[in-house]
Amino acid sequence: MATDTRVILICSGKGGVGKTTLTANLGISLARQGLTTAVLDADFGLRNLDLLLGLENRIVYTAQEVLEEECRLDQALVKHKQESNLSLLPAGNPRMLDWLKPDDMKRIVDMLKEQFNYVLIDCPAGVEDGFKNAMAAAQEAIVVTNPEVSAVRDADRVIGLLNTNAIKPVQLVLNRVRPKMMANQEMLSIDDVTDILALPLLGLVLEDEQVIVSTNRGEPLTLNSVNSPAAKCYLNIAKRLQGEDIPLIDPVEESSGFGAKFRRLMQTKIF
Amino acid sequence: MNSKPQKIIINADSNQYQNWKLCVKSKFKTIKSKNIEIDCENFDLSCSDILELIAIANESNCKIVCFYSTSSKTIVSSQSLGYRSHFILENDSYNTLKMNNKDLNISKADFHQGTIRSGEYLDSPGDLLILGDVNPGAIVRAEGNIIIWGRLLGIAHAGSKGNARATISALQLRPLQLRIASKVARGPKEKPQLGLAEQARIDSEKIIISQLESI
Repeated sequence: MATDTRVILICSGKGGVGKTTLTANLGISLARQGLTTAVLDADFGLRNLDLLLGLENRIVYTAQEVLEEECRLDQALVKHKQESNLSLLPAGNPRMLDWLKPDDMKRIVDMLKEQFNYVLIDCPAGVEDGFKNAMAAAQEAIVVTNPEVSAVRDADRVIGLLNTNAIKPVQLVLNRVRPKMMANQEMLSIDDVTDILALPLLGLVLEDEQVIVSTNRGEPLTLNSVNSPAAKCYLNIAKRLQGEDIPLIDPVEESSGFGAKFRRLMQTKIF
Repeated sequence: MNSKPQKIIINADSNQYQNWKLCVKSKFKTIKSKNIEIDCENFDLSCSDILELIAIANESNCKIVCFYSTSSKTIVSSQSLGYRSHFILENDSYNTLKMNNKDLNISKADFHQGTIRSGEYLDSPGDLLILGDVNPGAIVRAEGNIIIWGRLLGIAHAGSKGNARATISALQLRPLQLRIASKVARGPKEKPQLGLAEQARIDSEKIIISQLESI
């Protein structure tokens, strides 16, 4: 039985910035470090964390059945095929949208706390009931945002709500960073984002086409592709979450350095 | 039951601090009105505390109509839940404020420390001093002057009850919109020079921005 479980909410406000992808990859990375990890899909109206993890066809029960005592928790938990330390729990059935209440969320997280080192909650987009439910049981949060104005504005709103609900610490992940555009100042820079949001940066994730491929295959990047830039970023985030001191990558250097040019050359299809 | 609002006071000074929820529950039992105003004095309440308060009120079939507090944290929480909220100056009860509303001495300042984020809203019946940034999407409003020791990137409204001599000052003035009394202006397009505090005021029916000389 794990004692000091960390319950982390992964949220963004805006949709499509990469909450679910981060949850899946962070889950795999933590599990690979030998930590028992549960990912709880609180976005059950439009659930797709199971798709990303390639576990869609293994779901039988959800947290709803567990709370209604129709099944046991271990029946509802779906173990990952390759990473046995990782389990998925969908919070509910997409057809029963309004059953979940903040208290239900607390009860289910309390049950998960008894078995796992980490509980990652994948939060739905928006700041309405779905977000409030997902937030109810969280102790700390990771806010995901993209270097664009609308995503940063929504993240700011969400951070305000997290603060008024006494969720601490809140850390930031800047997703889909394009080093070249940042170097040419065509995109918000890291400083622009951290200036407004005033949060510690947990990590950057570089834009990577392989993310799309891995999503469609249902195999998170961190599972096997070691050479993907995004996968490295996810691994680093997981390590930093564990307290390891790993320096952030510098996107400008990444785009102009010799190593980057060489890597791009190697990845070009002609070779 | 009559409908005139009755006030319940919650404060941090007495020994009720440990068990304030129980204390509130017992206060609700003695209440005769359906509509309740909550005066939280200097007590910090988070959103979840306020949700619990609402649940307690619902148990006794009461409705909370309004929050008063001298804690800006409580005001931000109750406002974010959509409740009418009044920020009260310390050492100054709401009643005397209301009585003197017309010739309110606006040299009194409310003080807020911390970033005001998108969607948040802060209102003050006097001057407003903010130690932190006002982010885009946030609104700050004061009946007197607004002074921001930080960046103003959102919307600021000084002299909200019609004081045309009110000013808005910030270390970096890059607002979406400025309002003084009944005048509205869009913020400047170009970034201001760093390290120069600026002030906005009304000059010949227009809002102008100039370098800050004295507050």
